[in-house]
Amino acid sequence: MAEDRRPSRSDAPGHDLSQERDQFLRTFSKGAQLTREFVEEYESLQRQLQSLQAENGRLRAAVEADDAIRDLLKKIEALESEKRELLSHYRRVEEVTSDFNARFHEMEDDFANLANLFVASSSLHSSLSPRAVTRRLKEVLEQLVGAEQFGVYLVARDGRALDPIATSGLPPDVPAPEHLAHGLLGEVARSGVARIDDEADPSLGSIEKPPAVFPLQIDDNIVGVVAIFRSFAQKTKFSTVDFELFKLLGQHAAAALMSSGLFAQAERKLPGSEAFGDLGR
Amino acid sequence: MADFTCLVVEDSPMMRQLIVFALGRIKDLHVTEADDGVDGLRKLASARYDIILTDINMPIMDGLKLIQRVRTDPVHKETPIVVITTEGGSADRDRAIRLGANAYITKPIQAPKVIATVKELLKIG
Repeated sequence: MAEDRRPSRSDAPGHDLSQERDQFLRTFSKGAQLTREFVEEYESLQRQLQSLQAENGRLRAAVEADDAIRDLLKKIEALESEKRELLSHYRRVEEVTSDFNARFHEMEDDFANLANLFVASSSLHSSLSPRAVTRRLKEVLEQLVGAEQFGVYLVARDGRALDPIATSGLPPDVPAPEHLAHGLLGEVARSGVARIDDEADPSLGSIEKPPAVFPLQIDDNIVGVVAIFRSFAQKTKFSTVDFELFKLLGQHAAAALMSSGLFAQAERKLPGSEAFGDLGR
Repeated sequence: MADFTCLVVEDSPMMRQLIVFALGRIKDLHVTEADDGVDGLRKLASARYDIILTDINMPIMDGLKLIQRVRTDPVHKETPIVVITTEGGSADRDRAIRLGANAYITKPIQAPKVIATVKELLKIG
C-alpha cells in the first residue's frame, strides 16, 4: 500500500483562517473595486475641471473682447463726433471761402469797371483840342462801350437841330442834322433823359431804333446827345459798367467838348489868373 | 514765382492804359508798351518777352503782320501771342490763329478775361 504523502489535514489552514482569508479577499477586492471607481471618478473630475477651466478661459477672453469692443465703440463714437465737428467746421470754412471768393470777384469786377471809368474820364479831359476830344470820345464809344455805329450830336446855335460832329460806321448820307422837335434823339435832347433799351440785343439795333441815346449835359444845359445805333456783333447786352459809362460820358464828354470848343474860340489862349479872381472871395 | 515780361502793342493810349491796369493785377508781371507793330518789333529785338498782347488795327504795321514777323523770330517764335481787337468775326479770328496767335479777345475787354488768358498762357496758378 502506497504511502499517503499528502500533508495531513493538520497542515491545512484552519477553518477560521480560511474564512478570514476569504473575508479579507472579499474586502480587498471590494477595496480595489472602490479604488478603481475612485480613480475613474477622479479622472472624470479632472476632465471636468479641465473642461471648466477651458470654458472659463473662453468666457474670460469673451469678456475681455467685449470690453475691447466697448472701448472701440466708444472710440468710434468719439471719432464720429470729431468727424461731424470737423465736417461742420469745414462747411463753415467753405462757406466763408466761397463768400470771400464771390466778394473777391465782385471787387475785381468793380476794380475793372472803375478802371474803365477812370481811363475814359482821363482820356476825355487830357486834351483841349476839339478834334482830339472828339477822337477820344469816339475811341471810348468804340473800344470801351463796343459801339460800331454811332453819332455824336451837338445842339445847333439856333437850338432847333442836332448837328452831327462825329460819327462812326454810318453811311455818308445818314448823319444829317436831326430836328430837335422830332424823333428819339430830339426827345432825349429836350428831356435830358437817356433812352436805353437794356432788354434788346444792341448788336441788332438800327438807325431807326437805336438801343441807346443819352444826353450830353453840363449842369442843367443839354448841349447834345450821343446815339448808339448798333454795337459790335460780340456785344449783345449792355452791362452795368456801360450804364455808368453813359452817365460819365453824358457829363464829362459834354464838359470836355465845350471847354475844348471855348479854348479853340479863344485862339488857344489859356485864361489868366484873373479869370478865377473872384472865386477865392 | 519767377518774374514774367509782357509786351503790349496797341496804338490807342486809352486801351493801353486799360490793358496795363488789368495786367497790373498779375503779380510779378512786368509790362512794356509799344505804339504799333514797328515799335513792337523794335522792343522785341532788344529784349526777350514771355507773352505778347497785340491789337490788330494799327497804323504803320498792323497786328497780323506783327504776328507773322514774331513767328519767324528765333527768340520769340514760341512766345504766346494774345490778340485784342474789335474784330469779332470768325474769319478774323481764324486768320489770326492761323498766323500763330494763341488767344483772341474781342473789345470791349473784360479785365478778368484778359488776366485769366494771360495767366493760362504763362501757366501761372
